[in-house]
Amino acid sequence: MIQLFHVTKYYEGCLALSDISLRIEKGECVLLTGPSGAGKTSLLKLIFGSEHPDDGQILVQNRNIARLRRADIPYHRRTMGFVLQDFKLLPHRTVFENVALPLIIRGLSSSESRRKVIEALRAVGMEHKQATHAGVLSAGEQQRVCIARAIVNSPIILLADEPTGNLDPQLTTEITALFKAINARGTTVMMATHNRQVVEQLNGRIVRLDCGHLLSDQGTYA
Amino acid sequence: MKRFWYFLREAFISLRTHRASTLIGIITTAFTLTSFGTFLLLYYNVHNLIGRVQTNVQIIVYPKDAIEPQQLQDLKKTIQDHPAIDSLTFISKNDALQDFKKQFPDEAYLLEGLGTSPFPASLVLKLADSIPSTDAISTLVNRLQQNPEVERVRYNRDWIERLTLVITYIEIVALIVGGVLALASITIIANTVQLAFYTRQEEIEILRLIGGTNLFISIPYLIEGAVIGGLGGGMALGLLRGGFEFFKHKTHTLSVIGGFSSVFEFFPLPLSLLLISAGILLGCIGTLTSMYGWMRFRL
Repeated sequence: MIQLFHVTKYYEGCLALSDISLRIEKGECVLLTGPSGAGKTSLLKLIFGSEHPDDGQILVQNRNIARLRRADIPYHRRTMGFVLQDFKLLPHRTVFENVALPLIIRGLSSSESRRKVIEALRAVGMEHKQATHAGVLSAGEQQRVCIARAIVNSPIILLADEPTGNLDPQLTTEITALFKAINARGTTVMMATHNRQVVEQLNGRIVRLDCGHLLSDQGTYA
Repeated sequence: MKRFWYFLREAFISLRTHRASTLIGIITTAFTLTSFGTFLLLYYNVHNLIGRVQTNVQIIVYPKDAIEPQQLQDLKKTIQDHPAIDSLTFISKNDALQDFKKQFPDEAYLLEGLGTSPFPASLVLKLADSIPSTDAISTLVNRLQQNPEVERVRYNRDWIERLTLVITYIEIVALIVGGVLALASITIIANTVQLAFYTRQEEIEILRLIGGTNLFISIPYLIEGAVIGGLGGGMALGLLRGGFEFFKHKTHTLSVIGGFSSVFEFFPLPLSLLLISAGILLGCIGTLTSMYGWMRFRL
């Protein structure tokens, strides 16, 4: 599903990732852990295609991301969902409009979009708030909407960068449960977190990073 | 279809949100196109005027007195076969005398006792409508002057050439002024759209995050630029029409070729639409200029 071969990344001369090699299978739940600046976000960005590696290769569904043309990146992103710590919702749009956006980009019909949006909102327990503006929702609700938007396209990979970073322990439990449910349906989940509660609750494969180096990997790399 | 409504809605939300800069963009485009349109209107009318004058221009060819009837026939045929000539009328010496007597009956006595007519025979040529350039006419006149059977050719081309020169100057000035103003308009529209880009930076980032292509992200801004340009073009057309009507009203009593109003006319529909299209084009160029820099290095 996802393979990294000796990936190295620098930001203005500073090492962000050093010689990282990983293999993630379909349906796995991978937790990238480590302190701030360990390289967790950089790794996710490389897989997502918002950064290019300085060295090494990245294969996502047998497609080499390092060699992807600029024009193909949006299509690569449509195959995956991305959940961020700061939600990235449009505050003046309704919950429904926010979640429907990826489907408008794909050019789906209104009826099909509606069906998929309701399905995604139901999965995160936000169906009743579809007409509410995203800006007036609580942090937990916003993160649920963000997850709904990430899964509305039925992605095969769901990336999450500190999705519980802004949430209290109770909400963290709820959101983590959502990720667990999504992973249980067969979606590969790759999450960057330094929250022990999340790591314990998800009980996935733990990849530890520090200063751009891979410290340990519970999974196997062939 | 859903995408189409999305693009339209996004464009109009942006226009409404940035009312002040939208208005500045519209006014700048209107100013640009009004200035350019004034030159265009002037050029259009002077060009029309020259066209009318040229179609009424007559070339008078005076054959030599001693020309043989057969040579005269050959000369007529040569002239009639030329594509620049619409019609040819032969006025014999006697016809010329009769014309003089008709036009100046009080002076007719001056010619009594002369025997033969003192007036030369002539060929009056009317030019075809499809020969607009003075170059074509000059070429024809030169050829006729070199004909050995022709005494002389009368053609008052000087002032037509001067008028053509004036048109050339108008063209050059219109191009320079239009170019400078168009650049100003493109810059202002580019800034207007860039402002929209800055204020909606987060929204653009979100669209990128969920797989929006550059084209998908750009279309609402292109619509925005086109609307600003189109409205500016429409406003310019209104201003020009108003100015033109005012000019006509103020000059209708002047007796130049039956009054200015009978000579000058406003843009026909295709040219009016062209002016609005020019506004739309300026708007789109402004948007593209702004977007190119913005999107060039973003993944």
